[in-house]
Amino acid sequence: MTQAQWKQYICRACGLIYDEQAGDVDSGIAPGTRFEDIPDDWVCPLCGVIKSDFEPYDHTAVQAPVASHFNVSRATGVVIVGAGHAGWAVAEALRALDSSLPITIVTACNGDRYLKPELSIAMSRGLTRETLVRESGSEASERLSVRLLSDTFVVGLTPGLHQLRTTRGTLHYTSLVMAMGAQPALPAALSPQVCWRINDLAGWVGLHRMMQKSAQRIAIVGAGMVGCELADDFVRAGHQVTLLDTQAYPLSALLPLEASQKLLQGLQSAGVVFKGSTQITGTQVNHDHSKSVMTQDGLNIVADEVVAATGLVTDPRLAKAAGLTFDRGIVVDSLTLQTSAQDVFALGDCVSINGAPCRFIEPISKQAQAIAHAILHLDYAGYVHTQPVIRLKTKSIPVVMHGLPHSAGQWEVTEDQSDRLTMRQMYQGQQVSSLEVGKLAGRRRT
Amino acid sequence: MNTVDVAPSVVCASADREVLRLVTDISNTSLADAAYRIDHAGHYPLDIMGALGQAGAFSAHLDRKGAKFGLAIDAMRAISRNCGSTGFLTWCHDVCGLYMEQSGNPALMGQVLDDHASGKTFGGTALSNPMKSFAGIEKMLLRAKKVPGGYLVSGALPWVSHIAPGQYCGAIAGVFGDDGTATHEIMFLLRCTDDVVLRQCPEFSGMEGTSTWGVKLDDYFVGEENLIADPAKPFIARIRAAFILLQTGMAVGVAQGSIDSILEVEPLLGHVNQFLHERPDALQAEFEDLAKRIQKLAVDPYDTSKDYLIEVLDARAQGAEFVLKASQSALLHQGARGYMMNTAPQRRIREAHFVAIVTPAIKHLRWEMARLSKQEMPA
Repeated sequence: MTQAQWKQYICRACGLIYDEQAGDVDSGIAPGTRFEDIPDDWVCPLCGVIKSDFEPYDHTAVQAPVASHFNVSRATGVVIVGAGHAGWAVAEALRALDSSLPITIVTACNGDRYLKPELSIAMSRGLTRETLVRESGSEASERLSVRLLSDTFVVGLTPGLHQLRTTRGTLHYTSLVMAMGAQPALPAALSPQVCWRINDLAGWVGLHRMMQKSAQRIAIVGAGMVGCELADDFVRAGHQVTLLDTQAYPLSALLPLEASQKLLQGLQSAGVVFKGSTQITGTQVNHDHSKSVMTQDGLNIVADEVVAATGLVTDPRLAKAAGLTFDRGIVVDSLTLQTSAQDVFALGDCVSINGAPCRFIEPISKQAQAIAHAILHLDYAGYVHTQPVIRLKTKSIPVVMHGLPHSAGQWEVTEDQSDRLTMRQMYQGQQVSSLEVGKLAGRRRT
Repeated sequence: MNTVDVAPSVVCASADREVLRLVTDISNTSLADAAYRIDHAGHYPLDIMGALGQAGAFSAHLDRKGAKFGLAIDAMRAISRNCGSTGFLTWCHDVCGLYMEQSGNPALMGQVLDDHASGKTFGGTALSNPMKSFAGIEKMLLRAKKVPGGYLVSGALPWVSHIAPGQYCGAIAGVFGDDGTATHEIMFLLRCTDDVVLRQCPEFSGMEGTSTWGVKLDDYFVGEENLIADPAKPFIARIRAAFILLQTGMAVGVAQGSIDSILEVEPLLGHVNQFLHERPDALQAEFEDLAKRIQKLAVDPYDTSKDYLIEVLDARAQGAEFVLKASQSALLHQGARGYMMNTAPQRRIREAHFVAIVTPAIKHLRWEMARLSKQEMPA
């Protein structure tokens, strides 16, 4: 079989590409596996959607007509804030529906396109900035005929005047889409000059540069999803990892005790040193350029690099100053993704739907479709918000959770083997959530 | 001349309303009459400044008067509506009073400050260079060395406004040790005595009535009685937002005057002016939005948080962009009648350009907002 005959399939949710030639080794799909030969219970290794959510990858992706080099300098049109997955998803959706609509993207970064979930597994896979970036910001903006204002910060918004103020001047919009993501929430004890945060490519690239030199001692503060994934990734890449958390077990905000214990066993057997029930009191750079994490128990954990994985928050400044309703995120209508202001929409990590933020990649494409149709006044059934499947990309010990656990629900073990634990949560007589921890998680055995 | 009373602000107490009424009255009469002479002949309107000080235009923001920044900005707006140069003098005078009071130096806070706040004596500010120096944009021009009882300061500043022999201004100098290394900065009240050389500035396209001079110091002695802050940086960090926020009074005032000029010709020229963009209703909507935001920010101008500073810089930058747009629109609406040398629209264009380039200029504001917005990461 020649290389030319290999086909590629793209995940409609997150944009991951399944390449038949490469397979998906981490999920047990050998190189050279035809897409149709993949078992039906295979899921996207990045976002967890099922096989039928993939479609053939068409290299002639959405493309604006070449003739449409319209002058957007005086036009208003759609302005999108943020060039992460959410921002570009809206631009793609709009351009697919309307070939001449003026679209401007304002972004603090350079607009390069990459899949953020891949950052959690990139070190052990030997990925680099070049392999992570799938399309540069300038290429994407040219292909979609989007005006890209990179390295530009949004400073103010007045919805009543349809006015967006940036560090490169004031823009006017007919519709505005806020897709600026969320920011790492850094506790005061963690200095931003000492701790890396892996919430965007720039942060990852900075840390990667340091870790490339040699095997490093890495301290990761916070054993949530990202902290556990990074710990597993780094240790598999040959580094020494100490994972710290205020709780006694990893991921205990999400998992019941039995599952947290199982996860801990898996991480420890991979080589991660876990220090639970640890309060950090400060961080510093030492004279020999190593870093110290000091704890309340008087521990001084010396590492070459420190990573903070202490959760995300949506910066409220812009939304609040603009008078947008805000509740841990920009409050949006769950059907239309419209904010409390006329002609202002929001999606992705910066929003709050039904009273809670939802920071997963899987819903973003659907949110973008709903927004694009609303902006263009096209009929659309509306966005339907469902709890995404939570998948921990810890290869040593994968975790998959379906549904949304209830704080008052009772967890029960449904299967407990040395390498696999399954549980379910009942609430008021109904199963509201289930989880699998272990090697075969995410794959039904046939 | 003001054909419309554009609802200004949130001024509640009757004493405050009275201050604003008196200031507005002076602005609409003697200041409106003098505006051409100030702009064209470079007349320095100390008589009018004295009257404005008497009326309370320069003291509202001081702690001793309840730190009513909203009222101070509103007074500056009312003044700038008729004369941008005098609006700028008001800002210079206001921040100089702020330096004196916030210094905590008893020698600068008694009768000296009373006289300043009530417009009996006059003084401005020479902080353009140090502000840019602190932002990393240019080098500090004044150098100081420690001597018994104070400092000796040398160097030259290209242009300092609202000064004259016998007047004063707030200034900052970098302190250097014997080995030539910079140690810190001091802020002081520079008194324009015989020891200070004031040099004629080149002629500017506007703001000629603001008594702007080049200042040259040669081992000028600064004693403790004139020290505002030593070290200066923490002091500047505390007053920086207030310093910048006050400037917005000039922007909204000149913009409001521009809207006045548009409405003035509406009965006569409305039938053709309707084809222009930036019409008065749109400008008025932006004026009201901006004025509302400024008044909200004026409640706590000593907030030292990063978010607050970004909000202030944003309002100041928007003010500058807005006044450029409004003044340009006013000239287009008025046509040839506004282009005559003795009319306000062409003067306001030059005043607006000044608002846009005076420190912090639009480019500095954006530079600073970008710097503040960046995430800090390990080196």
